[in-house]
Amino acid sequence: MTTESLMTKPESAARVAPSVLTGIGAFTAVGLYVLVSSASLGLWTSLGPGPGLFPFAMGGVLVSMSALWLVQELRRPSAAAEGIDRGVVISVVVSLVVLALLMDLLGFQLSMFLFLLYHLKLRGQRTWLSSLIIALAGSVGAFYAFNYGLNVALPVSAFTPLNLIGF
Amino acid sequence: MDTLNELLGGFAAAMTWQNLIFAFLGCLLGTIIGVLPGVGPVAGVALLIPLTLNLDPTGSIIMLCAIFYGTQYGGTITSVLLNTPGEASSAITTIDGYAMTKLGRAGAALTLAAVGSFVGGTVATIGLVAAAKPLGELGLLVGPPEFFALMVVGISLLVALAGKSMVKALISGALGLLISMVGIDPVAGAPRFTFGMDRLLDGVSFVAVIVGVFGLSEILSYRKNSKTPLVHAPGMRSLLPSRTEWRRSAPAMARGTGVGFGLGLIPGMTGSVSSLLSYAAEKKFSRFRNELGKGAVEGVAGPETANNAHANAALIPLFTLGIPASPTIAVLMGAFLQQGLTPGPALFTEHSDIAWAIIASLFIGNVLLLLLNVPLVGLWTSILRVPTPILTALILLFMVIGAYTINFDVFDVFVMIGFGLLGLALRNLDIPLAPMVLTLVLGPLMERSLRESLEISQGDFSIFTSRPISAVLIGLGVLIICSPLLKVRKPKALTEDPEA
Amino acid sequence: MKTRSRIGTALAAATLIALTGCGANAGAKTASADDFPKKGKSIDLVVAFSSGGAVDTAARLMQPILEKELGTNVEVINKPGAGGQIGYTQLTSAKPDGYTIGATGSPSVVVSPLDPARGAKYTRDTFQPLGRQVIDPTVIAVQPDSPYKTLKDLLDAAKANPKSMTASTTGLQTGEHFALAQIQEGTGAEFAPVHFSEGASQATTAFLGKHVDILVANVSDVTDLTKQGKARVLGVMTSERAPSLPEVPTFKESGYDLEAGTARGYSAPAGLPEAVTKKLEAAIQKAIEDPTVKEKMSALGLQTSYLSGDDYKQFWAGQEEDFKKVLPLVQKKD
Repeated sequence: MTTESLMTKPESAARVAPSVLTGIGAFTAVGLYVLVSSASLGLWTSLGPGPGLFPFAMGGVLVSMSALWLVQELRRPSAAAEGIDRGVVISVVVSLVVLALLMDLLGFQLSMFLFLLYHLKLRGQRTWLSSLIIALAGSVGAFYAFNYGLNVALPVSAFTPLNLIGF
Repeated sequence: MDTLNELLGGFAAAMTWQNLIFAFLGCLLGTIIGVLPGVGPVAGVALLIPLTLNLDPTGSIIMLCAIFYGTQYGGTITSVLLNTPGEASSAITTIDGYAMTKLGRAGAALTLAAVGSFVGGTVATIGLVAAAKPLGELGLLVGPPEFFALMVVGISLLVALAGKSMVKALISGALGLLISMVGIDPVAGAPRFTFGMDRLLDGVSFVAVIVGVFGLSEILSYRKNSKTPLVHAPGMRSLLPSRTEWRRSAPAMARGTGVGFGLGLIPGMTGSVSSLLSYAAEKKFSRFRNELGKGAVEGVAGPETANNAHANAALIPLFTLGIPASPTIAVLMGAFLQQGLTPGPALFTEHSDIAWAIIASLFIGNVLLLLLNVPLVGLWTSILRVPTPILTALILLFMVIGAYTINFDVFDVFVMIGFGLLGLALRNLDIPLAPMVLTLVLGPLMERSLRESLEISQGDFSIFTSRPISAVLIGLGVLIICSPLLKVRKPKALTEDPEA
Repeated sequence: MKTRSRIGTALAAATLIALTGCGANAGAKTASADDFPKKGKSIDLVVAFSSGGAVDTAARLMQPILEKELGTNVEVINKPGAGGQIGYTQLTSAKPDGYTIGATGSPSVVVSPLDPARGAKYTRDTFQPLGRQVIDPTVIAVQPDSPYKTLKDLLDAAKANPKSMTASTTGLQTGEHFALAQIQEGTGAEFAPVHFSEGASQATTAFLGKHVDILVANVSDVTDLTKQGKARVLGVMTSERAPSLPEVPTFKESGYDLEAGTARGYSAPAGLPEAVTKKLEAAIQKAIEDPTVKEKMSALGLQTSYLSGDDYKQFWAGQEEDFKKVLPLVQKKD
């Protein structure tokens, strides 16, 4: 946040960071979509303000603010962001997606066990022993604690053979 | 004097050994349940109700109140330590609470949260004792137009504080409002922005969004090769707040009490609105507003005080009008009904002994919360000594369970992942997240009150300016938005606010 | 440092393992009717209106009896909004395994699927009715300081100046909205409806704060208000006077032949296994007819009027026919 005032030297005034442009574009697109679709929801009916009125106003705010932001950026571009560690993002997001996909199939215990093992052993490079203990506690342990201690049912496996042996 | 006597009588009835033990157990169980993901205060209280059914009315309600305080505080613990709010009302605490944790001040944050809860709860209960009736009537003055005007004030507070990046704050706010509109239109019933997905008819669940936007995006933005660890475990000495931290928290707690108490009186207002508006108030009025978001004690003390003040003030409409103002209060009301007590003004005339015992037990519950939790702060923070990779894995585990258990559906896990990515993008574009969270909560309330107001006035927008309270509030909102704009006219050197 | 982190890890793991102590065998079997409800698995009771209204109160009163009968936790969950539609959507999209049941009230549950503009995802056939609990007649009330002392005064004034007074409903196309439309149709008196789509507690709050002039509600909503002198009820829309409001004349007595009310019961999503339906129906009947529940209900102005699941189903179908005819009165005109 503090970088903006440092970056206002005249020589850097030429370019807007691509990520910022993408962002502005995306917000404008969302805003336009909302404007169009909320108009069709009905802004005003014989019974009073319609379901589209409020979203319509928000779509308007989104579009106009994106435009203003673009103007601001053109006059005085902000610094490019620090950037992200793609490796971290990909491994966390992909592992979560896989976990979510497998959870209903393999059941909470197996899928969470594998998930934790991946994060502890492969990514975190912990010892086998501590990885196994924690992964077991977090999967099988958590399952029993939630199911029986708290009445919170975590998913069980959809496959009968797995299901029968307790997953 | 009469009131005082009756209150003392209430204390005498509540302070039996048995009741104290119930209250203590309730606090402890509540805190543990609150720490666990997927069980918020409402579910937590509901889960433990069977435990209380066989007690006498006083004992059972004392225990329930204690459970409720405990679950709320438990939610704060995970917000501060793991960046994963257990429920909506402690969502905003994650911003500065977790930032404090990263600075090694987790202990101080938790202690201040407990003290703030105590202060807010106690002051609100005093209000209940001293002036329940007039205060209850005061809450009724807030009709739909005033409700809407209050929401406008709240949003303008958050927008204004963004200073020069007001544009970004507005984008963030509009996004939050749009997300809150996904699902069935709460007035006319038409599905909006559901893209034909049945799972979206019920809207996007708030907890999944919050966990994604704050918790997951934080993990995603962590850089593997960075030298700084995820968090610093606090040493023994830093468990307690420093003298400066105490001094800075005091005004924040005072403001939080005011915000929470005032809003708690209004039927239909939820505790999360109080904590969010208290945060917004800190952003606007605190002397250290520029530090908010980077681990300022005000960002923890204010909201945590506000939500407890709110929770206790919300009992005022229940006692004076019989209106349960929030879901948790409704659960309490259920317990009243089970015991054959109908909440409302008749409670004080027909069962005044029980009514006063309950009020006394609210005081006791607040004290116990403080006595129980401050010594435990050290134990809770010890979780931070866990090495980063293990902690990350455990946080992810917590988040997945938390998201899944909202509806017992994997869908919410995907929602959380999606919002984690959105949160990451917004962070990278330097767009503040707080306005989005605020509008996400305020959105439905704001839309409903706008439409109700326009139905009252039959389409005439002047209803917002012709009624005195809403006119003043709307004026205040405009003033708040305009005040930073006026500053821009000053010489350039002055506008270089380090925050912008 | 290293030992410390070990201790922390061990602590975390130990807690989780310790918590597991209470369970012996994995409860991984798929739900079958015989072991319904599984001990320790909560049943959600979805209430489609906010807390504090009659629907919510009735459900909370039944909760302990249901828990006793079914031998497991029953949690009342409020899902207010859109005059009940949000809660009904949640109920019908739940798995039909008996672990989700809900309070259903007509006309809201009957009418919302009939109007295509609402885009409701359910119809009458997606519910499995389990039992009807009460019929709660509609009443019309004014502020205690209102100049109108009789129903005739009020309706004549509303006829002379259409839309000069605001009247609360609990949402578009709910019982109160229909009642207003029936009054307009039958007497020519027109009020400006304000829809408090979260339920009766919001409508009552707004009325108490004098933000709306007329409270259109059910008998149960105004019983306590009348006792406190906070509302003056001018008429009950039934053929007989309500036991909890013996002084209030019916519409018929005042010369208007209009009847309206809300019928409330409990339903599950359709497709429930036969045995589960039987169990739930029996437990709900027990709870509805429980003497203490009945007594508490009538203290709130609610007259118990039980119908079994099958009868409730027929009643529902009859209501659907009736409301189809009057639906155009409360539909939006573009």
